[in-house]
Amino acid sequence: MLKTIHVAWREFCSTVLTKGFIIGVLMTPVFILIVAGGIALVTRLPKPRLTGSVAVIDQAGGVAERIQSRFSKEAVEREHRAITEKVTAAMKEKAAIAGVSEQQADMAAGLATSQLIGKADLAVEVLAPDTDVSKAKAGLADVDVHDKARDPNARIALAVVPLGAIRADDKAAGGAGDNGAGEGGTKKYADFEVFTAPRVDPDIQRGIEIKVAAAIVDARIAADPRVQSAGLTPEQVRALVSEPEGKMLTVTKTGDKKGIGELQMLIPMAFMLLLLMSVMTGGQYLLTTTVEEKASRVMEVLLSAVSPMQLMVGKICGQMCVGLLILLVYSGAGVGGLAVFKYMHILNPMLLVYLVLFFFIAFFIIASMMAAAGSAVSEMREAQTLMSPIMVIIMLPWLLWMPISRSPNSLFSTVMSFVPGINPFVMMIRLCGSEPPPTWQIPVSILIGLLSVLFCAWAAAKIFRIGVLMYGKPPNLRTLIRWVRMA
Amino acid sequence: MPDAIVARKLRKTFGPKLAVSDLDFNIPQGSLCGVIGPNGAGKTTTIRMIMSIIFPDSGELSVLGKPSAVESKDRIGYLPEERGLYKKMRVGAFLTYMAKLKGVDPGAASKKSSDWLERTDLPGVARKRCEELSKGMQQKVQFIAAVIHEPELLILDEVFSGLDPVNRRLMRELIEEQSRAGRTILFSTHGMYDAEQLCDRILMIHRGQKVLDCTLGEIRARFDPRTIVAETLDGASIDAAERLRSLPGVESVEPGKGSLTLRLAEGADVPEIFGRLALACPMRRIELKQVTLEDVFIDLVQASGETLRREDLQSADAPPRPSGRAEEPAHA
Repeated sequence: MLKTIHVAWREFCSTVLTKGFIIGVLMTPVFILIVAGGIALVTRLPKPRLTGSVAVIDQAGGVAERIQSRFSKEAVEREHRAITEKVTAAMKEKAAIAGVSEQQADMAAGLATSQLIGKADLAVEVLAPDTDVSKAKAGLADVDVHDKARDPNARIALAVVPLGAIRADDKAAGGAGDNGAGEGGTKKYADFEVFTAPRVDPDIQRGIEIKVAAAIVDARIAADPRVQSAGLTPEQVRALVSEPEGKMLTVTKTGDKKGIGELQMLIPMAFMLLLLMSVMTGGQYLLTTTVEEKASRVMEVLLSAVSPMQLMVGKICGQMCVGLLILLVYSGAGVGGLAVFKYMHILNPMLLVYLVLFFFIAFFIIASMMAAAGSAVSEMREAQTLMSPIMVIIMLPWLLWMPISRSPNSLFSTVMSFVPGINPFVMMIRLCGSEPPPTWQIPVSILIGLLSVLFCAWAAAKIFRIGVLMYGKPPNLRTLIRWVRMA
Repeated sequence: MPDAIVARKLRKTFGPKLAVSDLDFNIPQGSLCGVIGPNGAGKTTTIRMIMSIIFPDSGELSVLGKPSAVESKDRIGYLPEERGLYKKMRVGAFLTYMAKLKGVDPGAASKKSSDWLERTDLPGVARKRCEELSKGMQQKVQFIAAVIHEPELLILDEVFSGLDPVNRRLMRELIEEQSRAGRTILFSTHGMYDAEQLCDRILMIHRGQKVLDCTLGEIRARFDPRTIVAETLDGASIDAAERLRSLPGVESVEPGKGSLTLRLAEGADVPEIFGRLALACPMRRIELKQVTLEDVFIDLVQASGETLRREDLQSADAPPRPSGRAEEPAHA
């Protein structure tokens, strides 16, 4: 027993205390967190507000004033207020579900809003409609928007509204660009152009584009004789054509819940990945170290001190700890992330218990196969031929993930939950889904899992005992089966 | 004294191949026994069966009074033929690990490993990775791993293979030291010279069967020497050869490089012939050639119908030995 622990401890240390493991496995989530945090920090850094003017060449007429009013201080403030209200309302709604205080929701809303609202104070400079566009935009290339010493009213953008943007008659449309007359009586309008100085923030560019586009649409509506004769304002027309938003609610036995769709969908995927990754990393290391012990001929030296059974059990237990460590690090990072962003409510703690339980089942099955495959060959290259059953177990969850998470209680899903080898993965996907499987299926699946663990461990022990001292031609699967039946 | 190892009618087959058949032998406690035999004779199979790494198809084994070595693994030190080290592991850590696996108290294990490294002239390698060591140093480390727990029985499989003469001597010294400390040692080799230098007992296996099992003295007595090397003052002239051939009891005379090799007739009186030789011609040197293990080995192998050529036996790791009569099958 003590010897098995010594073997397990060495196996664990020699795997974990390597640069490859620390960087590849443990540091990866840390790196991701650092990078994500860094990006968040950088985007939150207050940037100097951009000042300058947007020149407008209004060839259509009636648009320039509307652009001016859209860029006016009052209009910008009104827009900011609207965004803030909308974001705050959304945050409060989520906060109510998540059970977070309103203050926190307000704070979150403030943060989110600061990302959305404009970062520029722009004035509008109206140029004569017949101004030469190429001359007007010529100076833009020389403007350095980040130069603090430059004239704060310097031109940083030029918007050109062609005649066809408002009046969609064939001639104007044809002359303005490639937009011809549409079909069925409706006509197509021409697009407009915005030229900006180099290195203007894309968000600001987008802001200019949106405002100009909105001004053009307002001008179009106002110029339309039908709207005029009906006595409608552009705002009324916009209100008429705006599309309503639908509220998505999931009906459950405990009441209607507003779905947090995307995250809920990700959970089965995340759990399956966690399970697969921790099991496979441990299993892969087990194969590598076993083959290495054979290739470096250290195997028989070890067998002078421990029995093959002690060695195999020790190695499997050592790698099990490696797998558990990975599981702990990644699921810890995941749970931590959910806790920080107040999403803990979407995670049922029982799922973590099942995760560990199914980890043991899946790990022992894979590890037994890996130990058997590793013991039977003398080189890593030869192990590939024996890996096919293991590859099936690894690949199937990927293929099954979509059909099972779409219909977790279909006949197909139920059958797959009882197939030895892949059942831990299938069951994990189903348990994380929106419709939990019938209660009786869980213990049955676990029982099948335990039985397959016993079988795999028994077969692996037989193969391991014979395989560890076999050198030369690598055995094929049939030979392995013979070894199992022989001893 | 009880026997450390007792084997009765051991038999092992690998598929259709008979590796060991009806092997009986006793290894007395405290003896230093060499297992010799040509390649593929069944030495390693026998040793693995003693170690309970593989199990005999039939027959009985008793190791240190127990039916299986598994029960007394911590009292046995084993250096397998296929031996290696963890390439990336540090030497000190490896020896400490092996000591712990062999039941040495974890607290004492690291002290023991550093003591042993000092003793075997390997100070300062404890922090080195195993792959950084030379082959000779690796062999020493493996030897330490086998004896670090001070076993009563030491089993060394092909212990001299791959060693240069300096390390070969060092290994012999290490083994002798263990033997002086009262340990029972069983080692296999096909280097006859090493066996002859070290063993007090020889077990020879050929084609899975025991062909010889006795002490070195018994071998010498049994394989009565009948070869005399005579170096005459006149440089082994043809005249001298003729004169010696005519002496009673001398069967044949072969001229060699500056000396003559005389083969004696069956039952010839050796001291009497020595006198006659000295009278027949002026001699610089007259020597009764001692039978070597190699001669015995080849005799036995060839007697059993194996047509082994000398080169096969004089493998790279066996130093060449002067011997004038191995080419011919002698008396059996």
